[in-house]
This record gives sequence, structure tokens and C-alpha cells, in this order.
Amino acid sequence: MGLEQYQGDVNMCCRCSACKFIPLQQVKSYDFSYVCPSISRFQFHSYSGGGRANIISAGLKNGFNYTDKLLDIVYNCQMCGACGVSCNYAMDMELQEPINEMRIKCVAEGKTHPELERVIKTLKKTGTMVPVQGKRGDWAKGLDLKDATKEKVDVLFHVGCLTSYNKDMHKLAKATAQILKKAKVNFGIFGDMETCCGGRAYQMGYEKEFLKQAKMNMAMIKKAGIKTVVTACADGYHAFKVLYDKYELKGDLTVLHISEYIDMLIKEGKLKPKKALDMVVTYHDPCRLGRLGEPWRHYKGKKIPGDRFVFDPPKEYRRGTKGVYEPPRDIIKSIPGVKLIEMERIREYAWCCGAGGGVIESNPDFAEWTATERIFEATATGAEAIVTACPWCEMTLSQAIEENESSLKVYDIVELVAKAL
Amino acid sequence: MALSKDIIRELEDVVGEEFICCDPAIMPSYHGSDLGAVVLPENTAQVQAIIKTCNKYKLQFSAVSTGWTGSFKKDIVYLDMRRMNRIIEINEKNMYAVIEPYVITAELQAECFKKGLHFNVKGAGSNCSAMLRGHGHLDQSTSGDDRNHLAIEWVTPEGEIVRSGALGSTDEWFCGDGPGPSIRAILTSAVPPGVTPGVFTKAAIKLYHWAGPPKYDIQGLSPKYTLAEVPKNMMARYYSFPSVEKMWQAEIRLGENEICMELMGFNVSMVAANIATCNEDDERIFKQLDKEKKGPGFFVIIAGNSDNDFAFKKKVLEQIVKEAEGESMKSLEDPETEGILIAQCTRVTASIRETFRAGGAFSSIPIMSQRDLTIKWAIGAGEAKLPLIKAGHIVDDGGAFFGWGVEQGHVGKTEIFCKFDPANEKAKAAVEKWSKEQGRRAFDESYFALMMGEVSDDIKAKMCHYDKWWIALTRAFDPNDVAPQGGPLV
Amino acid sequence: MIDKQKLVKIVGTGKVSDREEDLETYSSDISFVNRVRPAYVVKPGTAGEVQKIIELANSTKTPLVPVSSGAPHFRGDTVPGNGGSIIVDLSGMKKVEFVDRARRVAMVEPGVTYEELIPLCTKEGLRLNMPLLPRKSKSVVGSILEREPVLMPGYQWDMSDPLACAGLYFGNGEEFRTGQAAGPGTLKDQWKVGAMQKAPYGPGTASLHRLIQGAQGTMGIVTWMSIRCEVLPKMQEPFFAASHDLDQLIDLMSWLIRLRMVTECFILNNTNLAALFATDVEDYERIKETLPPYILFYNIVGYDYFPEERISAYIKDIAVMNQRIGLDTAKSAGLISADAMLKKIQKPGDDPYWKLNLKGANQDIFFLTIYDHMERQIAAMKEMSEEIGYSPTDLGLYIQPIVQGTGYHCEFNLFYDPYSYTESDRVKDLTSMATKGLMNMGAFFSRPYGDEANWIFNRDAATTDALRRIKKIFDPNHVMNPGKVCF
Repeated sequence: MGLEQYQGDVNMCCRCSACKFIPLQQVKSYDFSYVCPSISRFQFHSYSGGGRANIISAGLKNGFNYTDKLLDIVYNCQMCGACGVSCNYAMDMELQEPINEMRIKCVAEGKTHPELERVIKTLKKTGTMVPVQGKRGDWAKGLDLKDATKEKVDVLFHVGCLTSYNKDMHKLAKATAQILKKAKVNFGIFGDMETCCGGRAYQMGYEKEFLKQAKMNMAMIKKAGIKTVVTACADGYHAFKVLYDKYELKGDLTVLHISEYIDMLIKEGKLKPKKALDMVVTYHDPCRLGRLGEPWRHYKGKKIPGDRFVFDPPKEYRRGTKGVYEPPRDIIKSIPGVKLIEMERIREYAWCCGAGGGVIESNPDFAEWTATERIFEATATGAEAIVTACPWCEMTLSQAIEENESSLKVYDIVELVAKAL
Repeated sequence: MALSKDIIRELEDVVGEEFICCDPAIMPSYHGSDLGAVVLPENTAQVQAIIKTCNKYKLQFSAVSTGWTGSFKKDIVYLDMRRMNRIIEINEKNMYAVIEPYVITAELQAECFKKGLHFNVKGAGSNCSAMLRGHGHLDQSTSGDDRNHLAIEWVTPEGEIVRSGALGSTDEWFCGDGPGPSIRAILTSAVPPGVTPGVFTKAAIKLYHWAGPPKYDIQGLSPKYTLAEVPKNMMARYYSFPSVEKMWQAEIRLGENEICMELMGFNVSMVAANIATCNEDDERIFKQLDKEKKGPGFFVIIAGNSDNDFAFKKKVLEQIVKEAEGESMKSLEDPETEGILIAQCTRVTASIRETFRAGGAFSSIPIMSQRDLTIKWAIGAGEAKLPLIKAGHIVDDGGAFFGWGVEQGHVGKTEIFCKFDPANEKAKAAVEKWSKEQGRRAFDESYFALMMGEVSDDIKAKMCHYDKWWIALTRAFDPNDVAPQGGPLV
Repeated sequence: MIDKQKLVKIVGTGKVSDREEDLETYSSDISFVNRVRPAYVVKPGTAGEVQKIIELANSTKTPLVPVSSGAPHFRGDTVPGNGGSIIVDLSGMKKVEFVDRARRVAMVEPGVTYEELIPLCTKEGLRLNMPLLPRKSKSVVGSILEREPVLMPGYQWDMSDPLACAGLYFGNGEEFRTGQAAGPGTLKDQWKVGAMQKAPYGPGTASLHRLIQGAQGTMGIVTWMSIRCEVLPKMQEPFFAASHDLDQLIDLMSWLIRLRMVTECFILNNTNLAALFATDVEDYERIKETLPPYILFYNIVGYDYFPEERISAYIKDIAVMNQRIGLDTAKSAGLISADAMLKKIQKPGDDPYWKLNLKGANQDIFFLTIYDHMERQIAAMKEMSEEIGYSPTDLGLYIQPIVQGTGYHCEFNLFYDPYSYTESDRVKDLTSMATKGLMNMGAFFSRPYGDEANWIFNRDAATTDALRRIKKIFDPNHVMNPGKVCF
């Protein structure tokens, strides 16, 4: 691992600026052409994916000079992966991975952000990425859910830090539990024993802390004999499905996002959304469920010397093609009375909610700015509500709605399904 | 020479602290140049103020929009035009749009499509400034080079504003020429460097009728986007011919009969690049198309304004191709591929796939001139590529060149690439040698003269000493020498 | 003043005149500019002679006034601005270097007229994008240098069209060739490899062909020009559409051009259409009576391949358009058939020149404008005419879309009796009043002539300043047509 392995990739960046925008033939209007919140907000080319690649390329050649500006560039990035998708429409090169590794390198060399240090301190102490309020399993009181550490279950519902500890998000966990119960799924939770998946720590650049969490989780999962993990958090999904696989910790664990699971249940006839909800909604693709939720590809090979940038064996790039896009949409379409209108930036080129990469902690203004852009886009569709599939998205979008006094409502996909059952 | 605190402060006074940076951390992302400062102006008045500061302290400056390529002198003040990205107006009745420098083609085109309009998409790609002087796949029906500009708002190297044509007299954008002789004579580009010194802060560009849908119904996920269906009254085909002469005959007849919206003289390597979603596929598809093709060819898109119009154009197209013994490449006729090519060649122009993806770099000799003449030269330049291909220095494209018709074949563009790995020193040297030799041959054999980069004195002498006039013009408007020429513009 | 013998040495005996009657011909024209007598009229026969004249003028600071068309002249640009000027009459340079069908280009010297060039083009299966009924003596090069509007806006991709390249001597006597013609090497070198001086761009960054257009000879003297030609159609089908509502016609016209369905396309009012065809005043009245106020003329063509089908397809499509707009098209307007109109406009006008036919003199007021303003501007012109006492119904109106429909050339033709002081004063005053009034309404006077030029240039001080800097480069001794444009 390490940044050096991506030297060839970052050297390939030709500064075409495609990384700033959604894939060009998808541009449907002037208002919603950009895909990178960082360049959109901070304007200097350095903040774009390509700008970062250029900086990494130079640093690998000449050494890194960690000025305040460089760190500002590094930490004002939601690590949302949009630049990589746009780049990889045309180019065969890694972009998101070197950006990840740059963050990791900064942390490893002690060039950290104080707010993120605080978050990681909490993680080390309490096993969570958010301020602790009560116990992790408090949301499940009175629901009579199986304790997966003690009972045999087919599915582990991994709740996630934000949903567990933020009282406003408890509704998501409860709705998920309600849905799984309704479908008679043999599922359980780790309750108070649940610990952070580590995904957000990875995004922030804390590879060591992430690995620690990952190993802890996999140990618990193995011990409990769990074969399938379902999560309603996109960051959790990305962690279990992609990152644990990347670091060869996942084994043959099946990881599903709750939207995939519910979609499957509906199609198998085990769930029937019956109640008409009568609303016009739009759907926001969480970055780590969508483009970054694409399964990891393990690759061992070498560049073939010669005229083309090709590898032996051929290297398949993760271009966002295999993320989770349709299940949430199929769910929405299956709910009577709900009309889905798409925003302009969707699926693999969706605009980020603003929460990722540690930004909501290190630069809440930037996170809110990003979310506000998304609210504007959602409102432009004429929808009355924006539906998403991640508590971090829901929280960030809600905050922006409140700040802007918008009448738009936010729902998680599980809330809608629970309402319709 | 870093800029002094006082100068930085003065520039900060104009744009605000947030929009100026001299931190070395950002320089690698600015072409790896050692710049004095990067400044992001928001509007014309700020541009003026920055330039006046430069004049005061005799600092050199350059203004750039997306800045795909460029080379810049040390310590210059670099105006990154990113914040000047507004579409000022789309005037449907009078067929023009007014834009700032950082409006990219994809953005403007999306808005124009809604009104049944479009414009020239430069070969550099729709990720670049819509204001760019350039030529592209659609030149056949949407002209190219500096002929799509109407009025221009120009901040001179002294920081004064000159508004060309009707803009200066009546505050209208529709005409950039007059009163009297046209200032457009010297305003022949968009955002410097390397071209007109100063900054174009707004420009009006010509729009053309768009017979296609207000937006494409795009299916699929990146990197493979297809169209749900080929738009009504549109068709795309690739025709190959037994010889360059036959291809040229067909090309010129199609132009004279005003049949094509796009006539893109792709070689099959470029077609492959457009379709392929990775380098391996690119190579595979190229080999397949290379076997299938009859000879040199071109790609066309026809678009009818009505059923009648489409039927007529299709009939004439097929007849002309038949007479020139051309054949449609069957493997490119399937609707999915047709849709991919239509979307690519009208909305993207795929330049990244065609150029950088393969090896990481490319060297190009482009010339906009009399097409039959430049084709003659290009045949030789293509043959000269073959030893480089054999030696593995450059990507195998069969030694092909390409080009396209402009203004229904009145003029044309011919271009030839070598795609290579820039980290491969031998390849780089071989390509440089080829480029020098072919450029020189073009001149020695009187085809044309390349005037990018360093131009030798003997070339200047045989080209009416054009440089002398240009130097005099730049001096007249840049007495303090604050606007250096440099690098190609994209 | 230059010694006459020096001029004779350059151009030969018989080509230099200081005879009163010859000088008188060039001292004035039909416009209202002051009469200024030249010192000599010189008629060079070659480019080399032109260069020597310019060099001599520089050494003696003698003003030169280039003229390429024969009389009558209308705009004042060929009348000297200063005393002691030399008229450089290029109308005798009549070489047609080539007419090349394959590249659709012709190369001519400045004295070649439309009457002379059209048959040569026709022979090659080509035609010119012409102005409306130029006079017989009108130079093709002169017209294009003046940026006169052309009848086929769909083929005018750029304001400079149909100019391809030009060979000239700048005001300092240095030779230059624009566009592709710049090199490599001489024209002969280029012809050897099949280069036909077609591409207008460059050389280098600048496109100096734009500088010599609209310049009224103030930058230098053009000694040849290559001209973009169009293919001669196999079939043509002209039509009229007429209306009291100008807006309807402009709507139709804009779509015809936008969809590239037509070649010749313009609007005339009844005054002008009648004047085009009338042999005398009585005839004019008779024809005009039958005409509606505004008439749109357009021509649909078919080329080599299935011409009837092309025409038929467009006729059908235009019918659909007409239905939406509420217009009918017809093969005649009043007493005038569309075929007769087509025949007339595809060649130069007969003598006497149609604009002089009615009353003996004419003043044109023309500007560029856009759809949004034109109706108001036309209404204002009528009001001003009324105010001054020039009957609005006598105003000729010609609307020519330009540059593929991005703008319109709007022209008022004021016919008057030059021997009537009342009439000529009235027209002069109206010209001044209308120019200023229309400028304030957004009319762009892109080609300023005569006394009004000063007003027009003052409007755009920045461009004027820029032009003066440029002029210093190309004509440092200010010998080229001083007093014209803004110089």
C-alpha cells in the first residue's frame, strides 16, 4: 500500500478539468454541472481531483512541503469519489486511491487536523465517532431484538455510530428493525457491544485506527458466526463491503445495505408496501453506497512497458459502475402514491451531501455549503422531499434545510418503507 | 522573485484574501510553474484593477480558464478565471450567446439544447472554455477557429476596456466588427496565454440550429453511456473508402450539397478510442476496425430539420458514398454504438480518450487550412509514423491522420497525433524528432507553416514576416510588457 | 506636391493625369462630403507599381486615396479628405488570376467588376455571394472591402466573408498577404503544390484581413483578393412572401436562414422593389401601387443530387412554417414575378444605376441591428422623415440578414433630385438627424462614412483609440486616405 504505488497514476493527470464536472454528456443544465464540492467552493484548481493529483505527483518527485495551504487542500475534501468517476470516464488511472493515501500520509506524518484528532480520540476511548450520549444500544430498548452476541442470527444489523447515539436518528434504527421484523428476518444487533466500523476514521486518514476497528468488528462477527451484515449507513456499508475487503479482512462475509435487502424482500414478496403515501420525492445517492460502494478489486499485476498505459493482467478500474443505485429507486417506485423525480446529478455522478472525509467535523461551514447546494438541486425538481439512504446524509441535509428555512423534507429510505407497511 | 508583501496586499485589496494565493503548495497544480501569485477575479472591474497593479509594478500576468495546457514564465501573476463563469445571455432570435471565460462548453450547450440551439464544440473537449478559439468535430456546420466570435469585451494589457463592434457603440453583442476596420483582427482568441495579450472577460459566440432533442436520454453508467434511442431524424455512420482521393471526393461533395451536421475525418483508431471504455478495449476495437475498414474514411452525423429534410439528406449521403466506392462500417451501425458516437461527438468530443488515455501524452500537428492540400502533407506525415510504431515508441494507429470539413468543406482541418508515454525518454525524443521533421517538411514543401512555439527566422521571412506586425501590435497595447506570450492555449 | 514625372516613371505615360476634368471627376461624389480636388489621378497596372506609389507617398507625405470601382461613387470615401492627394485608381487592374471550381475560390485584381467576374464563375459552375444589385462599375474587391451586405446570409459564416485572402501593401509600403496566402513562399510557390489561398485565418495569431475591411483604404492598398465562391445550383425556385406586418416576415426570414433552407433572402419595401424594376417615375408609381408594404424574397435551390427533391422537401417544410406564422408565399408580388426578381439580383444592375433612376441622386442610411430593435428603429426613421418633410412612403427600405442571421443590415434609401437645393438639404439634414437618433436607439453604424463618421466614432472612444494605435503601425506617416474613418 502507500502513496508511492500510485505515482504512475498521478503522473497521468493531464489537467483536463473533467474531474470538476459531472460526465460531460450528462450535463443537463448550467446550474448543476459541477460534481466536486471542493473546487466549487474553494475555486483554486488545487482543490480539484486533478489539482490534488498534480500536487501528489510533484510531492512524490520532490518531497512534500506541508504548508497550511496544503493541509487546507487536503482536509477540505469530502473524499466523495466524484472526481474519480468523472476522470475515469475517459482516463485509465487511479484518482480516488491516491487522494485517500495522501490523507493517510498526512496523518502518519503528524500533519493532522485538530478537530479530527478530537474525533479519533473519542473513537479510541469509546469505540464511536460521535459524542457519546447514553449507551449505544439505548435506541433498541423495549423492542425485544435479538442480541447477536448471544443468539444465533442469520443477519447482523450493524446500526452505526450516528444512528445509535444521535437521538434524532434513532428513528432510522427503529424503522429498520420494524421492517426486518415485518419480513420475519432472523436478525440481531450487537447492542451496547457494537463498535464503530472504522469507515469514517479511514476517510479522515486514520488508517491504523480504522484497521483496529475493522479487526475488532471482524472478530466479533466471526465469534458470533454471522454470515451476513446489513447496515443502514452508507459509511458502514462502504467500510464492511469495500474497505474490509481491500485490507483482506472481510473473508466471505456478505454485506448488504438495507436498501438492497429491502429491495430483495419486496421482490421476494416478503414485504409489501401497501399504504399510499402521496408524495413527490427525489432520491439522493450517498457516495459510499453509490459510486464508492462498488466492490473492491484486488489486483496484482504490472504495467506493460511500451506505448500504452496497460497492465498485465488487464487492470479493471473501479469507475463507479457497480455501486448500489437501483435498489433504493426500485423501493421508492414500489411504494404506492410516491412519485420519484430525479435530480440532475445522480447515481455515479451524484453531488455529495457534504458530510464525508471528516469535513462535517473539520469544516462544518463547508459541509453545510455542500448540503445547501444539494437542497437547491432537490428543490428545483419540484419534489417535496429528498430521500436518502444514509444517516450522515440525512443529518447534513436536514441541517441545511433548517439553516435555509426550506420546506423540503428529508427521509431515509427505511422511514418511507416503514410508513408504507 | 517572490511578490512583495505590498503587492500581495494590493492584490488582496482587490479580490479579497480568500482569492489570492502564493503558497508553493498550489504551484504543482498550476502547471508546475513557479508563479508569483494565483489570483481569482470575479468580474471585469477586478480584472482591470489587477492588470493596473501589474502595470504599476511592471509585473507580468497571464489569464487562463480551465487551463488544460500552458506554460508560464516564472513569477507571473496568474489570473485563474474560475470565478468568471456566468452565462450572461442566450439570445435565441439573434443566435448568439454571451459568456464569461470559465463557462465550459458542456454547460452552455446544455442550456442551448433546451432552446433548439447549439454551437461549435471544440476538439479540446466540452470540459474547456466555450469562449475558446478552436476547431472541433462539428465545424462542418458550426464553423471554427476565430470565426464564431461576435463582440468581445477585452481588458487590454494596460487595464483599459475595449469593447469590439456593436458592444462598444450600442451595448449589443451581435456584431464584433467596426466601426470601421475590425478590432477582431487582433482579438482572435479567448483567454491567453500565447495569443491576444490581455484578458477577454466576456465574449459573444455564434449559435446554430440544433435539430436534435432538448436533451439526450442517456442510459447506463459511466464509463459506458448509450442513448435510449438514436434521436429522430439523426443518423451517424462511419464510411471507409478505397483511397484518400475517393474519400476526399466524397467529403467535398457532401460539403457542397450541405448534407452533414458533422463530417469528422476520423481514422479508425479514433473511432475505437471514442467507443472503448479502457485502453485494452481501445486496442482490441482498433484492431477489429482496422481489419474491417476498406481504407481511409470519415464519420458523419446527419440531422434533418424535418422528416423530409432527413430523408433527402440520407438519400444524397448514400448516393455520394456509393459513387466514391465507400462503404459503411457495419460494426458501427448498431444503434447502441451509433448512439455512443452521436453523444460523444456532439456533447463531449472525446478528446481525452483520443489523446491522453493511451500513453499519458500526445504530440499533435494541427493545421486549419485548405483541406486537400493539408491531406497531401498528412499522408507523408502518417507514413513517417510507421517506424515509430514499429519501434514501440508510439501507440499503433496504423500511421493514420485525421481531420474534418469546416463550413461545408470550404476549408478544413487536418491533424496528426503521436500518442506516447512521456516517461519513456526514447519515445519522447522520437516523437519530438518526428514532429520537427514533419513540421519542417510542411514548410519546405510549401504546404503550410507551423507557428506554435519557437518559430525560426526563415519561416517568419517566408510568411510575410507576420511576427513583426504582431510584435508591433502587442507593443502598441502593452507598453509595459506585462502580458508575455507563451504556450498554447486551451 | 510630388513631381508628376516621378509618378510617370512608376506607372508610365498616360496613366497620370492632372487635367482639370479628370481631377473634377474625383473631387466629389453623390454624397454630401466636401468637394476636395486631388492633385493627380494615377492608374497603376501592377502591384509593383502600387508599392512604388506608396513608397513615394511616404517619402513626400502625400495622401493617397485608393479607388477600385468606377463612377458614380456614393459614400465620400473616394473623395480626398486633404488637399494635395493622389487618387490611386485601380479600376484598370482587371486580371482574373483563377476561378477554381474544386476549392470554390476565385482570385482577382481590384478593378474586376461583378459584371466581368460573374460569367467566368458561371463557366466553372460557381457563383458569388453578391450585394444587392451593384452598379455595373462596382469592383468586387471594393465591395468586399467595404463589407457590403451579401444576399445569401447562410453562406456568410463570418462578417469578413466572402473575403478569403488578400495581397496588399500597407501604408508604409510593405507587402503583406493575409491568411493562407501569407506563405510559405510566394503565390507561385504555393500554386505549385496546389494551394489556392482559401483559408482566411492568420498567419499567426492575428487575422489582418479584418483590418483592411471597413478601412476605406486607410490601412493600405489591396492589389488582389481571393474570394470564396459558392456552387451554382442546378435548380432554383424563388418565392415572395408579402405582408403589412414586417414582424411576420422577419420571423419567417429568420427561420429560413436558421434552418439553412434558402440562399438569397432579404426584405424590401414596396418603394425599393418598385425602384429596382422601374424604368422611370411613371413605371415606378405603377409598379408600387400593386405592391404590399413589405416583401420578403427568398430562393430555394437544388444542387447536383436530386435537386427537385431538395426543393420539394423545403417547399413542404416552409409551408408548415407559413401556417404557423400566418403567411402565404407566392411566385409573384404585384406586377413582379419571383423569377424575374431572381434573374435581376443574380447579376449587377443595369445602367442607369437603379438608385439614381428615380430622381438622379440617392443617399443611403444603413446600420446593423437585431431583431429586437428593428421595428422601433424603422418606426423612428419614418417619424424623423415626416418631421423633416421627406415623405416616409418615399423611403426605400432594405433589410438584409447578415452572418447567418446573427444580425440585420437595415438600409434606408433616400432618393432625391440633386439639382434641388431643398431636396438635397432635406436629405442631408435627415441623414444627420437619423444617424444620431438611430444610434441612440441601438443602431450600430459599423461602416461610418461622410460627416456622420465623427459622431459614430466618438461613441466608442476605446475602439477609436485602439484603431489609432493600430493605424500608427501600418501607416506611420498617415498617407493612406487621411480624414476618413477616424484617422
